[in-house]
Amino acid sequence: MDLKFLVVDDSVTMRRIVINSLKNLGYTNYVEAGDGQEALDILNNHKDINFVITDWNMPNMTGLELTKAIRGSSEFSEMPIMMVTTRGVKEDIVDALKARVNNYVVKPFTPQILKQKIDQILSTL
Amino acid sequence: MKEPTNFSDIFSKIRDLKELFQFGEKIVPIFQSLIEFMKDIVPLMEKVNKSIAESTHKMPSATNQIDSVTSATELATTEILDRVDSISNALSEIEKEMGEILEKRKEKEKISEELQKQINFTNEQKELLLKLYKNDDIDELLSVIKEKLSVLNEESYQITLALQVQDITTQQLAAVNHLIESVNNKLSSLVDDIHKAEIKEKKVDEIEVPDTAIFDPNARYDKDETRQQNVDDIIDEENRTNEIASQDEIDKLFSGE
Repeated sequence: MDLKFLVVDDSVTMRRIVINSLKNLGYTNYVEAGDGQEALDILNNHKDINFVITDWNMPNMTGLELTKAIRGSSEFSEMPIMMVTTRGVKEDIVDALKARVNNYVVKPFTPQILKQKIDQILSTL
Repeated sequence: MKEPTNFSDIFSKIRDLKELFQFGEKIVPIFQSLIEFMKDIVPLMEKVNKSIAESTHKMPSATNQIDSVTSATELATTEILDRVDSISNALSEIEKEMGEILEKRKEKEKISEELQKQINFTNEQKELLLKLYKNDDIDELLSVIKEKLSVLNEESYQITLALQVQDITTQQLAAVNHLIESVNNKLSSLVDDIHKAEIKEKKVDEIEVPDTAIFDPNARYDKDETRQQNVDDIIDEENRTNEIASQDEIDKLFSGE
């Protein structure tokens, strides 16, 4: 399966780190967004995106709001979404699950964890 | 007609009056001390008020400084990432070229073997050919170099990963900024109240982080793998709970679907 990732994070540094990690895993097809709103615009303009990796805390639209917006749309409701965030408290994880993220990774992440979680999601598709 | 004077009443009132004077003698020094205390405390309160006002004025510049630190670290991190990327790209290119060299050497080795089959070399000539393409340790050396390049590439990737600390400290600093701003607001309102001479008992509110905050106040650079393990456990637990609690599934079970 030829995957095209949408990497959403307001930190340029984090976007680069996630993208470098994806490249190391052999995934070279990606686009990036600085917040949830930009991500939604990109999703509407790049119909070939099939995997979203998003941060939680972002201006304009948070990762949680983005997840809810994606799940609420008829076009992208089944899009695989992985949250990569510093938020590690149970309440947040439960909120993310309720919003139907497919997986949840806490920062700082390791490449092994990133690969494991992506593989987990892909195995359910 | 006047009532007859009751002397016992008069004596009783005189006693009360005496007690009042005695009490007055005791209370006057206390009042004097209180006045002295007020004389001392008022300038002190004025100093405290002035100090709070000064601190309130300094706080915005503290938040500005924190913002500058955040910008500077972001800039530095980007620079480091640029350098690490260019090192990593160069290493990958060298690694690829080393691979090509190894391939070419293998091809030459094959040509040498072919040559030996086609031409009747003397033993001495055969030995020389072997020395050229087989019996040297260049292949081994090239493999070691290739391996080391791969290690260097991995190390530079680890530097990239370690730079996640920048995002985490940025969030921590944003949380500190939010805290300073909240304290600043509360102090400003306190200074206002003092100026208005309406000092009331202030309710100490907890400083809340708004839902729209673009930082995580609990962000930390913690490479302990138990954090991710905790997340996985919660996800598993929630999934299990959902499996049990799903009304749809219970309904399906009862309807025999």
